[in-house]
Amino acid sequence: MKRAAWIAASFLLGAFVLARASDWRSPAPGEGPEAVAVRTIEGRPYLAVNDLARLIDATKFWRADVRRLVLRTASHTIVLTAGNPFVVVDDRTFWLGDPVRSQGGEFQIPVALVDSLPADSTMARLLYDHRRARVVVLPVSGGVGSPRVTIDGAMTRLSFPADQADEAVVVTRGRERFRLRFGGVFVGALPESMPAASRVSSIRTIAAAGGSAFELMIAPDAVGYRLVQETGRRRVILEVTTAHDEGFEAFAPEIPSGERTLRVVVIDPAHGGPDAGVVAGNAIEKNLTLDLAVRLQSELERQGVRVVLTRNDDREVPAEARAELANRLNADLVLAIHFDGYVDPHARGATAFCPPATVTEDRTARGEDEAPSASGLSPSRVVMLPWRDIGTRHAVQSRALAEAVLSALELRGQGPTRLRERLPYDLLGVNAPGILLECATLTAPDDRDRVMQEEGMRQLAASIADGVSAFRRSQ
Amino acid sequence: MRRVFIGLIVVAVLAWLAHSWSRHSVRSPILDATVADSGAAGVKAMKLFFGAANGDSLVAESREVIEATGLHDRVTGLVAELDRGPRARGVAVLPAGTSVLRVFLDNRGLMILDLSGAFRQRFRGGASAEYLAVASLIRTIGANVPEAKQVLIICAGRPIATLGGHLPLDRPLDVSDWP
Repeated sequence: MKRAAWIAASFLLGAFVLARASDWRSPAPGEGPEAVAVRTIEGRPYLAVNDLARLIDATKFWRADVRRLVLRTASHTIVLTAGNPFVVVDDRTFWLGDPVRSQGGEFQIPVALVDSLPADSTMARLLYDHRRARVVVLPVSGGVGSPRVTIDGAMTRLSFPADQADEAVVVTRGRERFRLRFGGVFVGALPESMPAASRVSSIRTIAAAGGSAFELMIAPDAVGYRLVQETGRRRVILEVTTAHDEGFEAFAPEIPSGERTLRVVVIDPAHGGPDAGVVAGNAIEKNLTLDLAVRLQSELERQGVRVVLTRNDDREVPAEARAELANRLNADLVLAIHFDGYVDPHARGATAFCPPATVTEDRTARGEDEAPSASGLSPSRVVMLPWRDIGTRHAVQSRALAEAVLSALELRGQGPTRLRERLPYDLLGVNAPGILLECATLTAPDDRDRVMQEEGMRQLAASIADGVSAFRRSQ
Repeated sequence: MRRVFIGLIVVAVLAWLAHSWSRHSVRSPILDATVADSGAAGVKAMKLFFGAANGDSLVAESREVIEATGLHDRVTGLVAELDRGPRARGVAVLPAGTSVLRVFLDNRGLMILDLSGAFRQRFRGGASAEYLAVASLIRTIGANVPEAKQVLIICAGRPIATLGGHLPLDRPLDVSDWP
């Protein structure tokens, strides 16, 4: 009799586990731009209803008499009842495994609800990131998941789950800085280390204006790569090979250890004439930009570079004229000099804006050979873009310049610094690498005092010149 | 006797599983009751983006408001809240007095947002202020008007090339480019 009771108890336990198994979730990938924390109630993960309503853009309707809350989006309805482990989504009922709870006047919903929400374009896509105990919302542009590394003989494959697989693009082809850009936001995790046999030595995320970007280090013995965009399977595969296989593109030759060619640098002292720019205390931006431009001109000319200013006095120069001057001179570099201003005096430091890498790097811009190599590797695709956006063609060089200049400013204590990938107004139609540099923030008392002094301005010019010099040396 | 006992347990377990399954898939009767709620005004969380005090980024703030009907009212309400400024941390980065004159949204998701003259006339600052003002606007619209995929900002009925001379505004801005 006792034995029969044990058998019955074991059977009941097994049946219970099986019944619960229908509610188990596969772990969702990691992080995203918008996320809300999940709280634990009696050992189970819960999501606050106000957070949920905000994430899915829902309106709340409360019925106090039946303790029921209705969330209504543009085309869906979610009905929650306090103490009830069931939720009604449109015309379907789902079991959440745990009851909806009311705590502190707010409903707490089991995170199982995330898996029950409709998967259509009218509602935000939510993911439960159990590792970080949060619910993440994927933006319209979709997501990019954790890359999976596989090695097959001479081939190393990195497979990225990507909602917008067709938007993946190789931005730079150098082995040391091989950059990939995706249309979606990265919501995964990168491997801490790569397998020993992998020809991709490392991978890290880098800033991108929209979407996400990765920088990879490729082993020196790799000879070609191929980007496979599987739109239907929402997957992008980067294949790197050490064999001379057909259909693979060659890596760009590493930048020679010698200097970059810098013959002509155009410095654009922003604002001028009736356009004073930022005015803070005694500091007037248009005067400071001209002062700094003249000092920077001297510094760079000492390096043997020809420097041309877009204005030498207090006058207004239209943006088109500034761009035309830089293009006519076939400038190797354009520096648009600004001083920043913000609504809060706590904001200080320098900011560089550089064109975003939205198109594949132009090989001709680096003087590389367009012809297929002897190995049969194919040349890159032709990219068309409006003249207004021609600056994006030099995005990689521009970013390198921005990083070099900002590093120099940080080293001399003229930070904090920020880098934003966004095509600035000053560089519209400029066919050269360039940046808009906000050298200091005039609305910050410390920054303003510094640049209003002779020594402060001298040091600022020296720092920027150091940055240009480092860029020239490819450091 | 033992066989009978085990048989009873098996039957009970099967009945319990069948009951669970039927509860899992049944259409809930409470759905019908929600129809009566539809006429009432709902409360909706609007997500607003303000500038961080140090100018590095945006900070999000959520506010609960009575749901507005119609695109114009929704966008007008959003811009008015941005103009009022944050209740917690952050700073208002939209030029003071900015309001919505007109809003159009086509079926491809292009929103034309016509802002009052104050948007341009009262702008003060450099690239960071301009960047965060535009980002605050675009991200707030993107978060609360999901139908909008692109936003073209115009001012007092006219196109504008830029707000303060740092960022181009002559073309629609992709909402997804301001994550």
